Amino acid sequence: MTLRPAAADTATETAEPPDTPPVQTGGRRRRRRKSSRARSQAWAGYLFLAPWFIGLFAITLGPMIASLYLSFTDYSLLAPAHWVGLDNYDKMFTADDRYINSLKVTTTYVVVSVPLQLAFALGLALALDKGLRGLPFYRSVFYLPSLLGGSVAISILWKKIFGTDGIVNTFLGWFGYEGQGWVTSPDTALWTLIVLHVWTFGAPMVIFLAGLRQIPRNLYEAARVDGAGTLRQFRSITLPLLTPIIFFNAVLEVIKSFQSFTQSFVVSGGNGGPVDSTLFYTLYLYIKGFKNYEMGYAAAMAWVLLLIIGALTAVNFLMSRFWVFYGDDN
Amino acid sequence: MKRILAATAAMLVAVSATACGSGDGGGSGDKNKIVFSYWGSDSRQKLTEAAIAKFEEKNPSIKVEGDFSDFDSYYEKLATKTAAGDAPDVMSIEIRALAEYSSRGTIADLNGKVTTTDLDQSVLKAGQVDGKQYAIPTGVNAFPMIVNKKAVEKAGQKVPDDKTWTWDDYISLAQKITAKNGGKTWGTEYNENPAFLQIFAGQKGEPFYKDGKVGVSEQTVKDWWTLLQKIIDTKAGPSAAKMLETGTKPDQALLVTKESAFGSWWSNQLDALTKGSGEELDLLRMPKSPGATASGMFLQPAMYYTISARTEKTAAAQKFVDFLVNDPDAGAILLSDRGLPTNAKVVTAIKGKLSPADQKVLAFMDSIKGELSPVVVPPKGATEMEDILKRATDSVLFGKATPDAAAKTFITEANNSLSQ
Repeated sequence: MTLRPAAADTATETAEPPDTPPVQTGGRRRRRRKSSRARSQAWAGYLFLAPWFIGLFAITLGPMIASLYLSFTDYSLLAPAHWVGLDNYDKMFTADDRYINSLKVTTTYVVVSVPLQLAFALGLALALDKGLRGLPFYRSVFYLPSLLGGSVAISILWKKIFGTDGIVNTFLGWFGYEGQGWVTSPDTALWTLIVLHVWTFGAPMVIFLAGLRQIPRNLYEAARVDGAGTLRQFRSITLPLLTPIIFFNAVLEVIKSFQSFTQSFVVSGGNGGPVDSTLFYTLYLYIKGFKNYEMGYAAAMAWVLLLIIGALTAVNFLMSRFWVFYGDDN
Repeated sequence: MKRILAATAAMLVAVSATACGSGDGGGSGDKNKIVFSYWGSDSRQKLTEAAIAKFEEKNPSIKVEGDFSDFDSYYEKLATKTAAGDAPDVMSIEIRALAEYSSRGTIADLNGKVTTTDLDQSVLKAGQVDGKQYAIPTGVNAFPMIVNKKAVEKAGQKVPDDKTWTWDDYISLAQKITAKNGGKTWGTEYNENPAFLQIFAGQKGEPFYKDGKVGVSEQTVKDWWTLLQKIIDTKAGPSAAKMLETGTKPDQALLVTKESAFGSWWSNQLDALTKGSGEELDLLRMPKSPGATASGMFLQPAMYYTISARTEKTAAAQKFVDFLVNDPDAGAILLSDRGLPTNAKVVTAIKGKLSPADQKVLAFMDSIKGELSPVVVPPKGATEMEDILKRATDSVLFGKATPDAAAKTFITEANNSLSQ
């Protein structure tokens, strides 16, 4: 490790005062001159940062602090808030079966759909990486669902596909199997949403594609010379070198899918039905806050969600030590 | 350096300008401008804008700004605005929200502030909470059985006498129609609207709400589920999954898609159902339980006009609400869009202008006048309670819970939500 010039410079500057106690005045003057220039430059820096700071405080941090306060109150939106201490948090885990259910639903959704989606995205990225003609076209087409997936139109389409008279049942009908209303049955409704999530594989796929391009081709050549088959190459070269990308995608998708809202909101008509089978965490939060006028409770839910996602991400990072391989750490 | 500073400063000013710009919209800038919030369809928006124009023509000193959104996002928006101290001066709300808003001091007591002498006094009561007139009903709805007579006759059946028919008559008739149509179209569609249960319970002498709690007994809820289950099992109507897909919007009703001969909808939806289906639709009384003493039918305000408790333009707001419910000119524009008006003078004045479907509703309401049960304003938590009912009903119809267990859960959870 060598210090870069800039770092060395600041190091001597901070080390300067104790070294030169006798020539105080001169030293101070020199420092003042220097720091006033530094200060004015710092000012310019802060000014440039200001728009971001304003955004951070006014749009993100301010409301977050407000919601933290509200989570300890019985705020109803319509009337002033009253302090209730930890009641909201207490109720969540001791007296609200729907809350526990929404946690279960969301966890199932995340645990099943994220690995499936990533596997699907990786599979397609591998296929596309084989140097298909018209790759940009296919890439765009496969990416499209990612853009549309959370939209109202797609959720309505889903109803049509998985409805009692939908395409799926028509198809099953050809084989003499009488299907059911997949979207409207409590046993299958969540699974149609999982399929919907898997279908929006475009974003991770594009990232995988970029990752695949980063793998040096000569590794494959060397492996081939050594007699490694396709599968062996995938296991010993592609997969290990791709682990940072897989990790990145996994972290991103877990966070994203834990906050899923629209799919369930539109497909279930806003109530997480049938029989709460698609009651996502954020949907329940919305219902509590805006439909049942329990904004304090909803705020508490939001904070617990933040903690859950934070904890999951931390676990993800801790686990990554055991399976993620960064090319540079020998 | 200076140039950079100047550029940054300029940018800052620009940013803060946009921040201000979005901040003070809809504030109390104009002293004579009131904001009126409502939800609904495009056609309602057009009618409302026309009514507002008429009002402004009659009251040149007052400006009214319509604040329109669809129903799904309406309360979200209204509650947020109220929280921000920016509540509309005149707010439309419906019956489930009345207790929520009145109990939190959001809306003002209009007793003696708006003329109500010509309004139906029993319906007017449905705008009162704790003896205070917080809300003025815009008009009324009934929840009848709607029938496509042609579809019934085509299946070789006779349209029943609605004064004597029972639930069993209804189911067996619907079953015959389904059978005759080879199972392709249904005898009846049904829904889980709480109004349905309210009527069913009313026939057993049980009010929907009693002393701020659920008034319906466990047994009655179970009987109601048995009735719905029977419709499904006998194929008088489609499966629960199919009905759930159909949803609660009249444009997707099976009556409209001509897949059903019977169905229950709010009476102000008859016009839309008729237009959507292109068929002749009629209203019937709901069937009765054998030995029932009451019809259970009731008239419910379609929605209310309310005035914000915090508005500084009380006089203008009162004038506007007064115009909407009492002025025949307003009635002539709005017609039955917000339920059939209950102002006798308005009704007489606009009778000729109503659509054929609305004429039928008017005649129907007249004929059941003597058989009505009183309307009760649902206590706070009613919206949540209705969700609980829906969940319990679905859990039974989809075989996720036994009726016994679901009924117990429903009563407990519902009472919890109401007592909060």
